[in-house]
Amino acid sequence: MGAQSELLQGTLDLLILKSLTLEPLHGMGIARRIAQITNGTFEVKAGSLFPALHRMEEAGWLASSWGEAETNRRAKFYKLTAAGRKQLREESARWARISLAMASALQA
Amino acid sequence: MRYFQALWRNLFRREQVERELDEEIRAYMEMTGARGGIEQVKESVRDVRAGASLETLLQDVRYAVRTLARNRGFAAVAIGTLALGIGATTTMFTVVDGVLLKPLPYPEPERLAMLWERHIPHGELDTVAPANFYDWRAQSRSFAHMAAVDPYPDFILTGAGEPRRLAGAAVSYDLFRLFGVRMALGRDFVEAEDHPGRSQVVILSYAAFARYFGARADMVGRAMTLNSANYTIVGVLPRDFSLVTRASDFQGRGRFEVYTPLALASPPEAWQRGTHPLCVFARMKAGVTLARAQTDLDRIAGMLARLYPADDKERGIAAVPLGQRVVENVRTALVTLLAGVGMVFLIACANIANLLLTRAAARQREMSLRVALGASQARLARQLFTESMVLAAAGGALGVAMAIMGVPALVRRLPADLPRAAEIGVDWRVLAFTTVVALATGVLFGLVPLAPSLRTGVRSVAARQSRLRGALVVGQVAFALVLLTGAGVMAKSLLRLLAVAPGFRTDHILTARLSLPPRFTNGYKFGVGKHREISRFERDLVERVRDIPGVESAAFTAYLPLGGTDNSWAFTVEGRPPKPVGVYDVAHYRPVSGGYFETIGIPVMRGRGFNDRDTEDSLLVVAINESMARMFWGAADPIGQRLRFGGPQWRTIVGVMGDVRHAALGAQPKPEMYVPYAQVPNVEARPTIVVRTAVEPAGVLNALRRAVAETGPDVPMDEVATMKQLVYGSADESRFRTALLAAFAAMALMVASIGLYGVMSYVVSLRRREFGIRIAVGASRGAVLGLVLRQAGKLAALGIAIGLAAAAMLGRLIASLLYGVKPFDVATVAIVSAVLAIVALMASYLPARRAAQADPMDSLRYE
Repeated sequence: MGAQSELLQGTLDLLILKSLTLEPLHGMGIARRIAQITNGTFEVKAGSLFPALHRMEEAGWLASSWGEAETNRRAKFYKLTAAGRKQLREESARWARISLAMASALQA
Repeated sequence: MRYFQALWRNLFRREQVERELDEEIRAYMEMTGARGGIEQVKESVRDVRAGASLETLLQDVRYAVRTLARNRGFAAVAIGTLALGIGATTTMFTVVDGVLLKPLPYPEPERLAMLWERHIPHGELDTVAPANFYDWRAQSRSFAHMAAVDPYPDFILTGAGEPRRLAGAAVSYDLFRLFGVRMALGRDFVEAEDHPGRSQVVILSYAAFARYFGARADMVGRAMTLNSANYTIVGVLPRDFSLVTRASDFQGRGRFEVYTPLALASPPEAWQRGTHPLCVFARMKAGVTLARAQTDLDRIAGMLARLYPADDKERGIAAVPLGQRVVENVRTALVTLLAGVGMVFLIACANIANLLLTRAAARQREMSLRVALGASQARLARQLFTESMVLAAAGGALGVAMAIMGVPALVRRLPADLPRAAEIGVDWRVLAFTTVVALATGVLFGLVPLAPSLRTGVRSVAARQSRLRGALVVGQVAFALVLLTGAGVMAKSLLRLLAVAPGFRTDHILTARLSLPPRFTNGYKFGVGKHREISRFERDLVERVRDIPGVESAAFTAYLPLGGTDNSWAFTVEGRPPKPVGVYDVAHYRPVSGGYFETIGIPVMRGRGFNDRDTEDSLLVVAINESMARMFWGAADPIGQRLRFGGPQWRTIVGVMGDVRHAALGAQPKPEMYVPYAQVPNVEARPTIVVRTAVEPAGVLNALRRAVAETGPDVPMDEVATMKQLVYGSADESRFRTALLAAFAAMALMVASIGLYGVMSYVVSLRRREFGIRIAVGASRGAVLGLVLRQAGKLAALGIAIGLAAAAMLGRLIASLLYGVKPFDVATVAIVSAVLAIVALMASYLPARRAAQADPMDSLRYE
């Protein structure tokens, strides 16, 4: 977890789901993509990333398969399942509501 | 992947899952160039994946099993002790459950009750007069069914080999409906059959159906010959049906083979209000409470008292829940035994707790090390807990196995008249009980070593442990004392019971019951019999029997002492002012033949016994027992006075006989009046022949059988027993519970002494250095020996004191089980306390001697 800011509960899940919308990625790829799409705000460490991946796979949001990484190394790739996409939609909507509410609350 | 798929994979494809996890994380590490921490990442993944907690549990269990396997001695002792304790407790619980706790084996058993006449002046319950039953049934509003059982009719079966007596019952047509039982074959009685003249139908018990008719289904609908009349077999009861009640309710005849309709006259005749043969069962309507039913019955009792004051003025009606009635007089004994075995179990548990404490002390260093390395106390606690749970589970499983083997062995030794014995068996209820017991002990043992070891600093642990051990030993000694006292007073009570002089001879007496066929009687219905025929048969038979080599004399009685049967009549004494209407003097009534008193050895205290000149044509005579003479004549001489019962004729008192114990060895004698068989007011169709022999009584049995067959080929003979067997059987229940409780007490004594030995050994090992130093600075070895023994003595004395207090308090709970001895019998208590003290001293002597032999050089070197 990044020292920059504490990840809210559930935020990591949402970021992982989001990071996988374009293509299947392996663990490091997911970590990089998250850093990329949050402009480096979140730097996910292995100790948080992998438990989350395994938990989400067991929940049926992700599916995994072994493939070849860019370095010719075997790696485990994760992709979104239908349930994962649905989860992403719902969580994004929820997140939008919360952040809107928080923003307006802080401006009031 | 769905959760259960994942769980399955994680638990059963563990290797693959682990391999893939390793490869995945390794790849990540290589790609990012990070170093180390692979194991931590893997561990954090393991912690979240499906079945993680289960996996930890399995890990703990595996670890516990490994630890225990390394300490085989400890594990064997702990598991063995637990298994014995749980096995014994489970076995006893199985009996208690079958007899006391299980619901009765009928639908909605809580709606079943027995109805009794209650004699208002002294509150005793009495069986019911047929006419009263008729009115109860007609007038009550609270019952869906009310049915009566007349347990007396016996039927002689002919036409199927030798004549045999079948134990019969005449029952209301809806008795089986009341119990919710369906016939296995054929049909139930119908209402139309429950009337005089239409009742020549029978329902057979399954056992009788199998025994006499080979369970041939085509027999249903056919006729059988009972008492020389034809009865149609209409139905057969299911194999497992029995009328559950107290053996004594049916005068020891619970196992009926044949049922006929009761067929009461409607309306009943007046005399049917003065005789009381019926047991009445009732099923309350749904939603009716016992209290409401009782109110209903009270109203009816009040009405009958006004209408028939002569018979019913002093009679109320009592509804007793069937479940309660059945077990009333065995409850105390069984609960006492369960409590006893429970105490043994607790004593055994204390030993295991001590073992665990010792182990915990030995592992103190291991635990401290692991705490220092960062293991949380909760994690350690969980592990110790798992270990004790594994112990408890193993002990529980072995215990159940022991119970499964032990229950049938115990059931074979149960007293014969224990109700519901057939329902005793290991089932899910018993397994649930054992599981709870095992879990509870597991939790308890998990906590024991934690209590002193995990709280604060290491220094005080030893001290706190010692205190806990001391408390355990004190508890053990206290429980052992309670058990020993209980067993002691029960044994004393049994000895008192067996030492009772029953008032008659018990050696060289053979008894057997005859069933007189219809040619001697007027059916079974309270009718007046054929005295002349009976007398002739009796004289012929007695003559033949007297001729048997080895026989000294023979005689008849209708109700043999300790034989389980009895009868009584209301009587009036000539010349005394009449009692108020409805108030009677009652005495037990004993038709006997001439020569009975001499044969069975009842002494004539005054006047004379009966002889062959007391016939149906001579002066009507009666002999009373001492109790009756004392109660109704005081110091005056009753001989020559006249009394009457059962008819208008006066009977002259010709003799006063010694008292006998009739109902049981422990039952006080009641007023009794003897009448010559030839002069009885009614017929007793099942006399007992009593034979006094000069040889071993069983030796004349075959000759007796021959004599009966020659005198009356149509007279079945059964219930053969020597008087010794009857006396022995009379103390059956007392002997059973005394033997069990004594066994428990012996176990308690042994286990508690092992406990004391263990604790003193431990204490000595802790203080070995101190003892060495004491000896080095001049203490004599004797002084050290005394020091240790004094410490043990203090614990034992405290335990004995607490045990005495507990025994004094608990004693009154078993008072009803004792004969001739107080529950807190001072002599018994003194003896068992002394025994316990001596055993405690012996158990601590060995450790004390070891202390006294402590080598001072060892201590000095060590310091």
